[in-house]
Amino acid sequence: MTPSTATTSADPSTAAPANPPQPWRRWHSAWRRWSLWTLLVGLVGAMLITLVWLAGRYEASQVQSKLERDTADAVADIRTAFSHNLQSLQALQSGDPDLASWEHRAAGLLSLRRELVRVEWRDTQLRVRAHVETPYRVVPSDPETRAAAQSDIALACANARRIGAASYSGSYFQPQSDGMGSEMMELCVPLLENGRYTGFLTATYALQNVLVDVVATSLQRGQEVSFTEPDGTRLALVGATRRGSRMFQAQQLLDLPGTALMLRMGSWHSAPSVFPNVLTALVTAVMVVLVRDNRRRLRAERDLGDALAFRKAMEDSLVIGLRARDLQGRITYVNPAFCDMVGFTAQELVGQGAPLPYWPPELAQEYGARQQVRLSGQQVPPREGYESVFMRRDGTRFPVMIYEAPLINAQGLHTGWMGSFLDVSEQRRVEELSRTSHDRLQATARLATVGEMASLLSHELNQPLAAISSYASGSLNLLEPVADGAAESPHQPPLPEPLRGDLREVRTAMQRIAQQAERAGRVIKSVHDFVRRRDQSRETVTTQALLDAVMPLIRLQARKLGVQVQVAVEAGLPAALCDRTMVEQVLLNLARNAMQAMDDARIHPRVLELRVARAASNASRGWIEFTVADCGVGIPEDVAAQLFTPFFTTRAEGMGLGLSLCRTVVEQHGGFLGHARREPRGTVFTFTLPAAPAETAAAGAAALPGPASTR
Amino acid sequence: MEPVSNATVYIVDDDAGVREALAWLLRSRRVPSESYDSAESFAAMLQARPPQRQPCCLLLDVRMPGMSGLALFDQLAERGDIAAMPVIFLTGHADVPTAVATVKRGAFDFCEKPFSDNLLVDRIQAALAQSASHLQERRAQHQLQDRVAELTERERDVMRLVVEGLPNKLIADQLDISVRTVEVHRSRVFDKMQVKSAVELANLLRSLH
Repeated sequence: MTPSTATTSADPSTAAPANPPQPWRRWHSAWRRWSLWTLLVGLVGAMLITLVWLAGRYEASQVQSKLERDTADAVADIRTAFSHNLQSLQALQSGDPDLASWEHRAAGLLSLRRELVRVEWRDTQLRVRAHVETPYRVVPSDPETRAAAQSDIALACANARRIGAASYSGSYFQPQSDGMGSEMMELCVPLLENGRYTGFLTATYALQNVLVDVVATSLQRGQEVSFTEPDGTRLALVGATRRGSRMFQAQQLLDLPGTALMLRMGSWHSAPSVFPNVLTALVTAVMVVLVRDNRRRLRAERDLGDALAFRKAMEDSLVIGLRARDLQGRITYVNPAFCDMVGFTAQELVGQGAPLPYWPPELAQEYGARQQVRLSGQQVPPREGYESVFMRRDGTRFPVMIYEAPLINAQGLHTGWMGSFLDVSEQRRVEELSRTSHDRLQATARLATVGEMASLLSHELNQPLAAISSYASGSLNLLEPVADGAAESPHQPPLPEPLRGDLREVRTAMQRIAQQAERAGRVIKSVHDFVRRRDQSRETVTTQALLDAVMPLIRLQARKLGVQVQVAVEAGLPAALCDRTMVEQVLLNLARNAMQAMDDARIHPRVLELRVARAASNASRGWIEFTVADCGVGIPEDVAAQLFTPFFTTRAEGMGLGLSLCRTVVEQHGGFLGHARREPRGTVFTFTLPAAPAETAAAGAAALPGPASTR
Repeated sequence: MEPVSNATVYIVDDDAGVREALAWLLRSRRVPSESYDSAESFAAMLQARPPQRQPCCLLLDVRMPGMSGLALFDQLAERGDIAAMPVIFLTGHADVPTAVATVKRGAFDFCEKPFSDNLLVDRIQAALAQSASHLQERRAQHQLQDRVAELTERERDVMRLVVEGLPNKLIADQLDISVRTVEVHRSRVFDKMQVKSAVELANLLRSLH
């Protein structure tokens, strides 16, 4: 458990031992993961080392055994050559030749056999009867050096005489006049005639030449061959100079009658050999690549895990339903939002084909056909989506917007369709509500406009009619006494009868004028009354309800113009007694005017304030005051003077009846509509409405009888 | 109805035609009038020379540019001027609720345009009569107040007890003066208040309140 921060800060000494589990656990898991790898790498390394070592050993043993075979072959070759030479020497004496023919034969032999450098025919006392030197040696051996060899020859011949066969002397070094020298060996062959010795044949072998002529032809590159004495002293050497770093050696004893020589063969071999190196390098490289690949894999795995978690969170947070289906129309995936929408669980939906459980039964056929078209791929789904109706588990239908796109897998193959679904029932409901409310207000607005026009016409016509009527009445008042003659003043002479008759005619005409004016007034009044019949409706409405009715429309326009709407309703307000729809018109008109006053690029921020409060003025107790305030461009002086004049407007499309109508409505309620400049900017419109007599407001209403109590 | 002499009718209407026609009509009935084209100009006149002891009434158009007739009426009502200067509203709108509302708030009457003119003049006469009687009443009140003011403190005490109906003896006891002195005070009070009996005095004083 992680200790709480409080504990940690309060007592670090207890926190310290409590903390380790975290790193330890991490280390432990890391160890578990990496130990296997370490073990594997170790084993592979050991195996490789063993392999390399074994391969080296095998290779070495191969080289060694070959070398030994070669050595044995070389020894056999030398024996063969020696026995061959011996036979050739013995053949020199055949037919009891004279000295000259012997020398001729011997010279022939020497020219054939280069390893022999000299042949001598000696008598039984070892005195030289004849000798022949090899033609390949430029400087013949001088008698002195021959003398030095005499003991070896004597020893070999004694030995030969004893065994009755050819015998070899030990090797000896014979210096030569050119400063060099070579190792020599003598062969002594006893000559027998009828069972007694007649003399000896001695032949001198140059050991170097033996190696060159007999062995060297079969020698390989990188090999050397030498004669050594049994104690290891090297006598003659033929072969490669040192190449490579490793020396293999083999030796074989060449035992000849009278002496023994050691033939040693060496082979230089490059080590380490290429093959294990390449293998090791390859394996190492592969290991490195593997480790890096593994790291990349781990990272990709982690990234994938993150991406999966991200995707999951995204899917879960969506309110848009997602559904995927394969090319056969079976559902392969649904997200939680989709399940919530239709009321089925994911297990119930995945794998289902047409008809799907959320299709309304009466539309299933149509949807099936639609799906067929979609799956055949002939028709691309519209980018802007299409509307459909789905059914919830409980059977209720709801409209959805569907957006579909083909599902392409990693190989670029089209595997199905992905669709997103938006439940638009709420949106539809709001739209419907807004439309009906808008329609209602529109209708009322039209009606109110007609009424206002009638009202304005009647006002405008009534003014001149009133004047006409007044003039007529005044004229009648003046004519009355004169025409009647009733109130003639005594000091005025009576008017003559014809004039009096005329005045009577004029009086009748005046009466007619007054009557006609009155009639015109009645006509106007009846039209006015007809249009205004509904004005008489009064109901008790809370101010909040009045605001609620118009707020959606106000907010709609406010959103369009970027206006912020602030509403403040004083607590505990009494309800208003009013013609609800007409007052809504007034509120809407004033709010719209206010917002249009702020529809100017320079004005920012745009705030529309709607306030409802108890009227402050003493004279208007029991009245509710509505205030619509903007911070717009304000009303210029010249416009303010004509503000309520009918058909006066500053807008191209306006009729100029809005404010006029507002004032008519407010005044019909006995209220007052006024406006004032607002500091620092803008305009405030205020109007009052009578409060409905409630239990709490009864005292106030009784003290000041308003229109509310006069119905 | 007897025309009230020395009376003035104020006409406040933004429509010159209506103003002039009304003035003409009133002149035909020998009623003097003054016309104003807006509530503001009328209010300014009222400020400059308040109508003193003359009966008057106000013909007020409900709807005018600037200050409306209703607003002006509210102002007058608040100041208590509508008793001495009854207000008759004129409107081109057949608006019963507004009419009733203003009448309930103290307007004298409400006439729709076009009005039956001589009826209107009759109503104006009635308003003027009311104004005149109001003024007269106010004048009488003032006189009475003046008379009371003339009394000495002792006379006022005696008068209070006389009105309560106490005999002279009890009054003398209460005020701790002689009966003779009470009688002197009593006759002086009667003289100054111009009454002949205690009953008359009591009636007079009741009207003071």
